[in-house]
Amino acid sequence: MKALVAILGLDSHWRGSVMVARVLKDAGLEVVYLGNQFPEQLVASALQEDPAVIAVSSLSGSHRVLVPELMRLLRARGVQAPVLVGGAIPPQDVPALREAGVAEVFGPGRPLDDLTAFARDLAATERVRSSR
Amino acid sequence: MGAGVASGAGETMEGSLFDASTLAGLREMFARWRARHLAPDHDRRTTAAGIPVEPVYGPADVADLDYGRDLGLPGEPPFTRGVHPTMYRQRAWTMRPLAGYGTPEDTNERLRYLLRQGATGLNITFDYPTLRGYDSDAPEARAEAGLGGVAIDCLDDVARLFAGIPLDGVSVSLVTCNPGMAIIAMAMYVATARGAGVSPDRLAGTCQNDFLMECAVTTAPEPLAPQASFRLSCDTVEYCLRHLPRWNPISFVGYNLEEAGATAVQEVGFVFAHARAVVRELERRGLGVDQVAPRLSFFFSAGNDFFEHVAKYRAARRMWCRMMREEFGAQDPRAWALRFHVQTSGVALTAQQPEVNIVRSAYHALAAVLGGAQSLHVSAYDEALGLPTEETITLALRTQQVLLGESNVTATVDPLGGGYYVERLTDEVEARAWEFVRSVEAQGGIVAATERGWVHAELARSAFEYQMGVKEGRIEVVGVNRFVGPDQPRRVFVQPPAAPRQSERLRAWREARDGDAVKGALDRLEGVLRAGGNAFPAVLEAVEAGATLGEVHRRFRETLGVWAMPLLGG
Repeated sequence: MKALVAILGLDSHWRGSVMVARVLKDAGLEVVYLGNQFPEQLVASALQEDPAVIAVSSLSGSHRVLVPELMRLLRARGVQAPVLVGGAIPPQDVPALREAGVAEVFGPGRPLDDLTAFARDLAATERVRSSR
Repeated sequence: MGAGVASGAGETMEGSLFDASTLAGLREMFARWRARHLAPDHDRRTTAAGIPVEPVYGPADVADLDYGRDLGLPGEPPFTRGVHPTMYRQRAWTMRPLAGYGTPEDTNERLRYLLRQGATGLNITFDYPTLRGYDSDAPEARAEAGLGGVAIDCLDDVARLFAGIPLDGVSVSLVTCNPGMAIIAMAMYVATARGAGVSPDRLAGTCQNDFLMECAVTTAPEPLAPQASFRLSCDTVEYCLRHLPRWNPISFVGYNLEEAGATAVQEVGFVFAHARAVVRELERRGLGVDQVAPRLSFFFSAGNDFFEHVAKYRAARRMWCRMMREEFGAQDPRAWALRFHVQTSGVALTAQQPEVNIVRSAYHALAAVLGGAQSLHVSAYDEALGLPTEETITLALRTQQVLLGESNVTATVDPLGGGYYVERLTDEVEARAWEFVRSVEAQGGIVAATERGWVHAELARSAFEYQMGVKEGRIEVVGVNRFVGPDQPRRVFVQPPAAPRQSERLRAWREARDGDAVKGALDRLEGVLRAGGNAFPAVLEAVEAGATLGEVHRRFRETLGVWAMPLLGG
C-alpha cells in the first residue's frame, strides 16, 4: 500500500511532512516522498504510483488555492485515493477543503497518533477490498 | 552599526581560581551531600541537546576555569562575557520585530507602525515566490504571492517598501534567506538607495544570504544547487565588503536550523562550519580575514532550554574568537567578536492555548538578553496560527521593552557569568560543537555535506527524535500533552493577496521599460555567471535596466541549473 507525501507549492517547510512520511511508513505503508509539488505534477505522480492515500502539507497558506485545484485535477483524471491535508490550516478553512473533497484535515497540533489511526483504518479497508 | 569593540588584546592572567586544598575539601563535601540525598540510580537529566545535567553544581565543576583564558572581560578576548565592554548599559540591543506581507505598501504601513511603537530596527521578510525567484504574476506564484512576507518584483517595489523611511536613518535587516534572491534584493536595495541620494557607505544593516537556507533548511520545486547558491552568497558578501562598509552581508542562520530540528550543539556547529567555508572562499578571492570577519554576523534561536541557550551564545563567542585568532590568524579584534541577532523560537509555540506563548516567548527573550544578543525579535503569540496581527506583534515588542526598562537585568554585563552551571554548560556546548564542526569538515566541508543531503538528514533526524519525545510524553508541552484544554476559535491575520495589484504593476512596468536593454543586461549577466566572475555588478545593471526579480532568477536557474535535492524517503 503506497502513500504519496508532498509539500504544496512553494512552501518551504518540510518538517511536518517528514514526520508524516515516517508515521505512515511505521504504519506499514510504502511512502513515496515527493517534496514540493504543484498540483499538475502531483497528479502525474499519482497516476504513475497508484497510491492508496495522498498526504499534502501546507504551512504557507498555499492550501486555499492549490488544494481545490489539486482535487479538481485528481477527480478529472479519475484518481480515487483519499487526500489528507495537514499543516497551518485555520479551522475556518476546513469546510471549504472538505467541500472540495478532502478526506481529512490535520490542523496545527493534531496528534500524529490520529494519522496513524487513519492509516491503519485505511490499510484495513484496503485489505478487505482487495480480498473480495 | 560598527562592532564597537575595544581595541587591544586585553589582559590575561594565568591560574586556577581556586585554592587546591579548599577544592579538595569541597569535593568531599559535595560527595557526602550526594551520598545523603541521591540514590545510586537517581534520575538522570539532560539539556535538550543531551548534555547531562547534575542535580547541583559547585566550585569543583569549574576548577579548570582559567578566567583570563576562558572568560576574559566584556569587550575583550575571548569575549565569552560579551562583545562590548558595557553592553546594554551603554546601548540596548536593537529591537527588530519582523514585518512582511502583501504588497510593498502593505508592509511599509506595518514598518512605520512598528517604528512608532518603539522598534529600533527593521526586519523584513519576503513572500514565498520572491524567496524562490518568481514574480507575483508567475504561475508558480499563484497560491502564495504576498504570503509569508512582502512581494518584491521590480526595482520600484523597494522604493515603495521604504517610502517615508530614511535608508541612512535606521538599521535594516532583510531576511533574504536564499542567496539566489538575496543578490537580487541587495542589488535593488543599493540601486534604490542610490536613487534616494544615499551613498552605499551610509547603509547599515544585514541581509541573510545563507546557502544552507536555500539548500537544506527549506525545500522548493526548483532549488539552486549548493555550489551555485554558495557562490552567489559569496558574490554578495564580496561586493558588500568592498562597497558597503557598514553592512553585514551575511547572517549565518542558526535559528532556522534549530526550527528545522537542530539541537543547540548542531546549531553552533553548522553555523561555524559554514562561516569557515565563507572565510576561506573570500580569502581565495583576495580578501583577508581581517577584512571579512568583522562584517560577518550570526542569527541564533532562543528556545525552551533556558540555560542551554545562554551557554550556547557564550560558547559561540569564545569559539569564534579562538577560531579567528588561532586558526585564521586574524589580527583585528573586531574580527574576533561574534555579533548576533536572536529570534525567539517559533516551533516551541503552540496553536493550543496560544496566550501561553506570551509566557514562553518572554522566557526565551530573557535567555537572549542574558546571553548578550545584539538584536532581538520576540515571536508573537499567534505564531502557530499565522503571521502576527498588529496587536500580537506589539505585545511581542512590549516584551522586549519591559525586559529593557523594568527587569534591571541590563544593569550589569553577563550577570550569569561565574555561575557554576552556566560556565560548565558553556564548556560542554563548546566541546560538543567543535566535535560537530569536525564531523562536517570530515565530509569535505559544509558545501559537500549539503550536496550529499547530509545536513538535511541530520535536521530531520533531530526533528524526529524531538517529535517522538513529545508523542511519548518525555518532552512536556503545556496545552499539547499536558494540561490540555478546549480551545476557542482565534482571529487569524489575513494576509492581503498581492497577486492582483502586483500583476497590474508588472504589466505596466514591462510596458514602460526598454525590453532590449533588459535582455542585453540579462545576457551580460549570463556571461558573467558562465565565466565565474562576481555576478553582483551584472545583477545591479540588470535591475537598473528594469529586469524583474523573477527574470534575473530565471537566468540563474537556466544558467546554473536546478538541483535535484536528495530528499528524505519515508
